[in-house]
Amino acid sequence: MRINSESNSSIHGLRSVLLAIFSTTFLVALIISLTGCRRPEQQNGKTLTLAVNSGVEGDALKQAALDYEAQTGVHINIAEFPYTNLFEKELLDLNARTGAYDLIMLDDPWFPRFATQQLMMDLAPLLQSHGAKWPDEDFVPASVALGREPYQFGALYALPYVGNSQLLFYRKDLFAKHNLKEPATWDDVLAAAKTINQQETEGTEDGGKIYGYVMRAAQGNAAVADFMPIFWAFGGEMFDASGRPTVNSAEGIAALKFMLELGKYSPPGYASFNADEVGAHLLQGTAAISINWPAWISSFSDPAKSKVIGKMEFTTMPGAKNPGRAEIGNWLIAIPRDAKNKDAAFDFLLWATSAEQMKRSALRGNPPTRRSLFIDAELVAKFPAYPAQLRSLETSKPRPRTPFWNEIENAFGIYLSKANSGELSAEEAMNQANAEIAKILEREK
Amino acid sequence: MPRSQRFLSAKSRSAGKGRGLRVGSDRTLGYALVAPSIAVLLALSIYPLINAVTLSLHVISGGTSRWSLGNFARLFSDQFFLAALGHTLIYSASALTIEFFLGLALAVLLNHRMRGRGFFRAGLLVPMMLPTVVVGVVWRLMLNPNFGAINGTLKRLGVNTASLTWTSSPRLAMLSVIAVDAWQWTPFMFLILLAGLQAIPQEPYEAALVDGSSAWQTFRNVTLPLLKPAILVALLLRTMDLLRVFDQVFILTEGGPGFATETISLYIYRTAFRFSNFGYAAAMSFVLLVITNIISAFYIRVLQVRETG
Repeated sequence: MRINSESNSSIHGLRSVLLAIFSTTFLVALIISLTGCRRPEQQNGKTLTLAVNSGVEGDALKQAALDYEAQTGVHINIAEFPYTNLFEKELLDLNARTGAYDLIMLDDPWFPRFATQQLMMDLAPLLQSHGAKWPDEDFVPASVALGREPYQFGALYALPYVGNSQLLFYRKDLFAKHNLKEPATWDDVLAAAKTINQQETEGTEDGGKIYGYVMRAAQGNAAVADFMPIFWAFGGEMFDASGRPTVNSAEGIAALKFMLELGKYSPPGYASFNADEVGAHLLQGTAAISINWPAWISSFSDPAKSKVIGKMEFTTMPGAKNPGRAEIGNWLIAIPRDAKNKDAAFDFLLWATSAEQMKRSALRGNPPTRRSLFIDAELVAKFPAYPAQLRSLETSKPRPRTPFWNEIENAFGIYLSKANSGELSAEEAMNQANAEIAKILEREK
Repeated sequence: MPRSQRFLSAKSRSAGKGRGLRVGSDRTLGYALVAPSIAVLLALSIYPLINAVTLSLHVISGGTSRWSLGNFARLFSDQFFLAALGHTLIYSASALTIEFFLGLALAVLLNHRMRGRGFFRAGLLVPMMLPTVVVGVVWRLMLNPNFGAINGTLKRLGVNTASLTWTSSPRLAMLSVIAVDAWQWTPFMFLILLAGLQAIPQEPYEAALVDGSSAWQTFRNVTLPLLKPAILVALLLRTMDLLRVFDQVFILTEGGPGFATETISLYIYRTAFRFSNFGYAAAMSFVLLVITNIISAFYIRVLQVRETG
């Protein structure tokens, strides 16, 4: 019996110890979670939180934020996300109205989605209260138009920070060697691709073949971005005036047939190429012509990466039935509707998009959105393609402005990739793409 | 009543006798101790599950959200969903078959005493230890038709590699991703089956030897039946993993070329995070959950080791 009661009391002792541990843990957790809710930075209103993408564009804004902090004493937090996560992160936070960000960087195709859901601040009242005349005449109109909803004429919600637009990259040494002139039309491009493809079977440094053309035809964004300039030049349009999809028009099918024709002079497997593969082919000197984005230009003069130093030339999009137009790809900065420090955020936005600051961003490798900088002597000396970039940007065209662009681009890209991998004919691909896009629009109506 | 339950209830009955007061405080302590885990389970599993059901039963149109079966109705007319489902089943069935038979063969082989057994056993586990993302990137480079090691080697051996574009070819892309999966996960099958083999006692083999059964008969009638529990575990775990495959396909092909290797998880990811349609993504996730459950139940029924009473 004695033993029994002893064990009972020891169980009792164990129980009280456990209860004590449990309740203490619970209390500590409670205290931590309660204090965690208080954000000390908000008290002075001098803290800004920026959502940026991890990459050269976000890096420039990060650097600018450090300069701004040193100049003004405003503390800036940076929330950095890879490109693919940035969109979902921003959309989720803005929809949940957390007010987590005071400024967001966004890629221009995302803008219609944010604008139609009214997730961003209209900048007009802020401009008025700050007495600022912005955006001034110096901004490229095609870039400013992106931050308005409806496009070009509506209210201003975002300012353009990085001004990319597509360029045609080509090997000027090979063009000179085969007596080819700078391509002005897509037929010129095809003829040049064919000549180089046939003649340069042992053209690379180690005696390998040089392909006439190289493109990205992986499903999704890649295939669509490389197809749009051809599609537009051939007279194709994604939608008619009433918003119905028209990708399977005669012009659209002819454009895809032309893309498949160019594919004959592209390296095998291009139907799954993305930017990396295209970049590798150009840098290794195994392909001669391509549509690409300005971010790649600097790597061609880097001896660690490039076998084609001094051999690349950059020009505007070739035309066909219509004059050539590049796809625009700008990074915009906007203030979320639920931002906690709207005024301070707006001050920073004006400061970051001023000519002086944008020049610093340009020196860090981001094409500007101001005309004066594209012709700035110091910048042109460092970035010789700037004049071509300005011409391309001024005549560029945005991706179709619909809040459902991600889904439409995905579906369209799948069929373009299927045509390029030989699974479907041009007609089949465009008809099926058209039906699928119609379905998306019908569903989202 | 199963033995364990009988035992428990007997214990609680005896505990109840004559110590009525204790029972209450025992209970209180019991609840207090499990409360944190219950709370965590509720917060991290049950609540999201209920939330996902609600989400899948809502359709957003024109800025307002309403109850609807629309997401489930859409499944049947969505050719992308049906194609992705088909790809997932083909992928899972092929990879599972290859991995199972290869893993079994390797396990049987390396269960014998042989020179270098330890080395092979350890070496075989390396692919499984690598992060899937790393495996994906490495294979993506190796399968590159222009710069990759595989076509490079084949070219040196005099093979015409012009049509071998692996992940870019609609015909070869699925084969390529399945091969990479088999490369990485056969070791997992091998590991579990080897453990199963080693748990089999010697006596049945000795009996089979005495009865004069051939090697094949021994394998068929002794090894396989006794290996059933290990086979069940291996197939079950692998199937669940295969049905929700995401990372290696995402890195190797991103579902391409075209739609040739898009699996259901990729399509769910795209729908939720690229197209921001969480309701439809939740509905598809449920279909995947149901399919996984049906297949798992089937395995358990077929392979369950019946207790001989």
